[in-house]
Amino acid sequence: MVVLAASIISKSGKAIVSRQFVDMSRIRIEGYLAAFPKLVGTGKQHTYVETENVRYVYQPIESLYLLLVTNKQSNILEDLETLRLLSKLVPEYSYTLDEEGIGNTAFEILFAFDEVISLGHRENVTVAQVKQYCEMESHEEKLHKLVLQSKINETKDVMKRKASEIDKSKIEKNRGEKGGFMSLQSMGSGRIDTGFGSDTSISSNSGGFGSGSVFGLSTDLEPQSSNSKGRPPASASAPPKGLGMKLGKMQRTNQFLESLKAEGEVIVEDVRPSIGQSKPVAPPPSDPVTLTVEEKLNVTLKQDGGLGSFDLQGTLSLQILNQDDGLIQVQVETGGNPGILFKTHPNVNKELFSGENILGLKDPNRPFPTGDGVSLLKWRMQSADESFVPLSINCWPSVSGNETYVNLEYEVPPMFDLQNVVISIPVLALREPPRVQQIDGEWRYDSRKSILEWTIVLIDNSNRSGSMEFVIPAVDTSELFPISVCFTSTSTFSDLKVVNVLPLKGGNPPKYSQRTLLSTENYQVV
Amino acid sequence: MEKSCSLLVHFDKGASALANEIKEALESNDVPAKIEAMKKAIMLLLNGETLPQLFITIVRYVLPCDDHTVQKLLLFYLEIIEKTDVKGRVLPEMILICQNLRNNLQHPNEYIRGVTLRFLCRLNEVEIFEPLIPSILSNLEHRHPYVRRNAILAIMSIYKLPQGEQHLVDAPETIEKVLMSEQDPSAKRNAFLMLFNCAQDRAINYLLTNVDRVSDWGELLQMVVLELIRKVCRTNKAEKGKYIKIIISLLNAPSTAVIYECAGTLVSLSSAPTAIRAAANTYCQLLMSQSDNNVKLIVLDRLNELKTSHRDIMVDMIMDVLRALSSPNLDIQRKALDIVLELITPRNVNEVVLILKKEVMKTQGGDLEKGVEYRQMLIQAIHSCAIKFPEVASTVVHLLMDFLGDSNVASAMDVIVFVREIIETSAKLRVSIVSRLLDTFYQIRAARVFSCALWIIGEYCLSLSETESGIATIQQCLGDLPFFSISEENEVTDDSKKKSQQASSITVSSKRPAILADGTYATQSAASETVFSPPTVVQGSLSTRNLRSLLLTGDFFLGAVVACTLTKLILRLEEVQSSKIEVNRASSKTLLIMVSMLQLGQSSVLPHPIDNDSYDRISLCIKLLCNTDDGIREIWLKSCHESFVKMLSDKQWHEMLEIKAKTQISHSQPDDLIDFYHLKSRKGMSIVEIEDEVQDDLKRATGEFVKDTNDTNKLNRILQLTGFSDPVYAEAYVTVHQYDIVLDVTVMNRTKETLQNLCLELATMGDLKLVERPQNYTLAPESSKQIKANIKVSSTETGVIFGNIVYETSNVLERNVIVLNDIHIDIMDYISPAVCSEAAFRTMWAEFEWENKVAVNTAIQDEKEFLDHIITSTNMKCLAAPSALEGKCGFLAANLYAKSVFGEDALVNVSIEKQADGKLGGYIRIRSKTQGIALSLGDKITLKQKGSS
Repeated sequence: MVVLAASIISKSGKAIVSRQFVDMSRIRIEGYLAAFPKLVGTGKQHTYVETENVRYVYQPIESLYLLLVTNKQSNILEDLETLRLLSKLVPEYSYTLDEEGIGNTAFEILFAFDEVISLGHRENVTVAQVKQYCEMESHEEKLHKLVLQSKINETKDVMKRKASEIDKSKIEKNRGEKGGFMSLQSMGSGRIDTGFGSDTSISSNSGGFGSGSVFGLSTDLEPQSSNSKGRPPASASAPPKGLGMKLGKMQRTNQFLESLKAEGEVIVEDVRPSIGQSKPVAPPPSDPVTLTVEEKLNVTLKQDGGLGSFDLQGTLSLQILNQDDGLIQVQVETGGNPGILFKTHPNVNKELFSGENILGLKDPNRPFPTGDGVSLLKWRMQSADESFVPLSINCWPSVSGNETYVNLEYEVPPMFDLQNVVISIPVLALREPPRVQQIDGEWRYDSRKSILEWTIVLIDNSNRSGSMEFVIPAVDTSELFPISVCFTSTSTFSDLKVVNVLPLKGGNPPKYSQRTLLSTENYQVV
Repeated sequence: MEKSCSLLVHFDKGASALANEIKEALESNDVPAKIEAMKKAIMLLLNGETLPQLFITIVRYVLPCDDHTVQKLLLFYLEIIEKTDVKGRVLPEMILICQNLRNNLQHPNEYIRGVTLRFLCRLNEVEIFEPLIPSILSNLEHRHPYVRRNAILAIMSIYKLPQGEQHLVDAPETIEKVLMSEQDPSAKRNAFLMLFNCAQDRAINYLLTNVDRVSDWGELLQMVVLELIRKVCRTNKAEKGKYIKIIISLLNAPSTAVIYECAGTLVSLSSAPTAIRAAANTYCQLLMSQSDNNVKLIVLDRLNELKTSHRDIMVDMIMDVLRALSSPNLDIQRKALDIVLELITPRNVNEVVLILKKEVMKTQGGDLEKGVEYRQMLIQAIHSCAIKFPEVASTVVHLLMDFLGDSNVASAMDVIVFVREIIETSAKLRVSIVSRLLDTFYQIRAARVFSCALWIIGEYCLSLSETESGIATIQQCLGDLPFFSISEENEVTDDSKKKSQQASSITVSSKRPAILADGTYATQSAASETVFSPPTVVQGSLSTRNLRSLLLTGDFFLGAVVACTLTKLILRLEEVQSSKIEVNRASSKTLLIMVSMLQLGQSSVLPHPIDNDSYDRISLCIKLLCNTDDGIREIWLKSCHESFVKMLSDKQWHEMLEIKAKTQISHSQPDDLIDFYHLKSRKGMSIVEIEDEVQDDLKRATGEFVKDTNDTNKLNRILQLTGFSDPVYAEAYVTVHQYDIVLDVTVMNRTKETLQNLCLELATMGDLKLVERPQNYTLAPESSKQIKANIKVSSTETGVIFGNIVYETSNVLERNVIVLNDIHIDIMDYISPAVCSEAAFRTMWAEFEWENKVAVNTAIQDEKEFLDHIITSTNMKCLAAPSALEGKCGFLAANLYAKSVFGEDALVNVSIEKQADGKLGGYIRIRSKTQGIALSLGDKITLKQKGSS
């Protein structure tokens, strides 16, 4: 009971319009259509032709054929009904029933065909209904448009009103500048009364007494700024007290959002970016002095176990919040790793560092700059020694039949504890996610990138080694590489530690915090 | 699997637009211009362009447009663009359209929603519709049924996708709920269809809970119900008891389509006589009630199927089938008669013949256009009835003999041949048939009928009275002697002038040489073949003088037959007549007739004189009558009859053989494999699908289902395209499907360099067309690649595919070309042996314009062997009866016939003669409607006829 295609073809078998309702290749449908005119006999009083595979039910329209291609089990009565309907529809859309006319209105005819047959099944429709469906006149859409239009008009009205209000207020402001402090009062509007204590309202009520009210404002500013540190700025629970334009504006956007919400708009306020790769984002520094030791690893491991390359880059950076705390020196302690060479910033006193492991500026009177981190020290390590590798991976793919079994094993030497380990194995685009048979940790399959990710949150003494096994359809085993790994760790190769921060001007050493992070930049098994 | 193609629009290359023109139009704000541009873009895409740069333009300028037509065209555009990359991953930019689709699904206009949902039915990419699923689901509750029904279909097609059920886990449940509450018949059907396809248990459940209401459901839904029942019962035969009741209730449905489907379902479910009878009854009702010829024909096909499987039940339906004869359509009548003829039993034969007789009478009365042909069909039908059941012959033979004088030679011929056979097989009818034949003899009009009738008279007039009246009848028909005299010469000359004019006018009208049944060109006068017009111009102008007038037109072959018949009768008369005087008198009269015929033949009044053959035969008869001896008498009176009996028995024997062969074919061989459905595995198909014949049928139609062909066959067709030492080695295997050829080309890089932009360029000669443009590939060192090329075939003709491989190496920026071996596509793949009647062969032979004449030039010495060789090498069917080809007489003529898959006919006539030096000589003529077949077949034969290899 399936119509394969509805077509209009010329007597020579050229398809002018054809709509297929089931999946079939182009060559196939063209073949069927081209063969048709040869199969039609002349002088026959019936209008169907059967071949080995299909049945054609047709109807001549002037010099063309309108035809349905169906399978042989199809219900002839239904097909004839469909054909009859289609033959009534074609002249509705095409004024001249010749090749050109049909060609010009091909798409309209296709639209109509679509309404009559869906997925090969006949729909119970009449010519009038098809016409209605194709015209797409929708009452609801009109209604919707009307509503939209009225909303627009309404908003325009509101806009006009607001504009005139603003104009009015401008005029009043101008007037106020001439006549004392009137404007401020009008700007503050009613909220001043509620937010302020009674005494400020008195002061503002005192009208012409300009300086007094200014003073009041400036005294208010102190606690406000101290407050704002602890409190998130978005909290609208305590309406900020008439503090000039800046905060007022914030208020207004908030109000806008609120009103939008009330009108039913969905507004996502929490637009925090989702944490993708498990890269810890350092919380903003809260201590006056922050020292960060960061090491980045570029490692290439060979598939068969050897070390391709090992490259470590480290930095020590200093971040100072306050200018006042800039005059300091930093005393560090290195782990004494012989493979590491340190390089100091050109402005740093080299002798001091090589002698006493103290980092200070050449000019002791100059403070360290504030703001973003300044790197004081850089180091590099390259090695061919496999024992340095913090995480080694063993991958054993084996093909059996039309499947590949992949066994993966990781090993971490005792000196490192690794966090957020993600091992990404490229598998070819698969229709189904790989079958994971055994795993230490978790896995997920990213179908878009065709990557299988093996995640282990923490590797410490409890799980120095682990393994995973999964099955995928047979692939060339080289396709499974490069496997890339990323992880973080708090122990570093240099073992650099900040021992102390020494103020140059004497006094208490400023509070400092220290962060140490080893992360991978490019860690691959190829 | 090839990419599927969902729409075709004819594209006129002359009106092609440039991509940037389209782009400009799309960017404009003018809606009609946009529509035009979209149409052009779609047509370009369908034509094989890729237009990648257009996508972004469309996303930017067309997506936001809110014109409905633009939106619908946009959906077409999205339907046909390539949405995945080479590896099958969805292109990232496709995500851009998701938002638009989502908006469309929430559009206030229900039709926009509907068409968008319908578009989603054709979408295969999970990534695109994934974000849309909530919107689709929400559309299930839309107010308008148009939206709902399309939403259901969209859900169904998503659910059916490989990973679809993961995205729509509870879809069956949802749809079931929808089905419960749905009122719109179309949406209800779709919902049921969805359950049927995706959660059959639920569909069955719903059906069984609503059994009582099935007959009130809409037509569309009922159809799906029937489909479901069929499917369920196929997989689970035990269940069918539950459903038979439903089917029976649906047999009374108001919609004929449902009734038809019911009957089909019944037949497929059960072989119980009641069920079959009900189905057959239903079909017969449809046959009566439907006026559409197509329906009648297909219903007759169904009945025919029933006939082969359940003959005993169909026998009872024979009268109902016969009623279809009332239709004026010849095809219907023919099919009905075919069915009826095979259902005749001794019990019903009388009734059937009665009706057939009535029908024959009807054809006499009305001057129907097709009456003649129909009558012929009826006569043949009666003929075969009478042969099967000789007892009815007596009732029909006299009726049929009325048609001896029929103006249609063919039906008259049928009748006389029939009479000839009956008179031999049923001896007791002989007397009555002979007297009847002598009575109607004068009505006969055609020469061939005359010859046959004369032969019957000569052979079966046994008694004295019969013999005498036989001689008298013939003499009467010949009229007064002599045929012309000197005194009458002037008059006769006038007459014969008129005659000759007429004769020549007839010969002009049929200019083409006639072909004899064995395929040789006829040498007899063409005039005698044609129907003779009423003989008003001949002297006496009596209608009793047909025979005479035929002779006067110069048909001396007939004259010879008359002479032989008379001789035979005289010889018999000698046996049965005691009075010698009577015999002598008759004998002398006869001699006079023969002599007059010879005289006529040698006179100058006729345009052409008597031919030697007839002359010899007539003079032989004269000699015989003057000088009889027993040996000759024996030959004339006995051997002749014996050989006829032998011919009849031979014919019957052959028919028997054919029937036996037929019955043997239907049985399976003892060592045949038995397929266990459940153990059968086919790649990528679930068991249910394998069992579903409807699905198979559909798959075959869409070309998805490839028959498991023998792999060794495949290997036989491998063609080497380049040399082993070429930088690129290529070989192909050619698969010839019905209307297309697929080349699977394996390309191998034999160098140590990477080959870039490697391209397989093909070109064709003949009626072949490349479907796709060639693509460029990069081939790593020593690696290989499979390239597929599709070629469309549009007529039967030998074609050649040739081409080359073009590539660039990395360091030299020049194109290298390797020319490929030619691939010859053989015409033999497209023709298959077929059978057609002799008459049809002759009409086609006369009609077809292209003839290719190939002179025989072969090493084969034996005629038969040569013919067999030609038959096997051309894949044709020999139409000549095997007995006609037996024996060594030094010459052979046969017709061969074949049909191409495109329905074209190929005719071949072989006429060969053994020459004095032992070699074969002669011609093979090929005729066809188109030049291609004639030429290609001719080439093939020229190539193959040398033979023996």
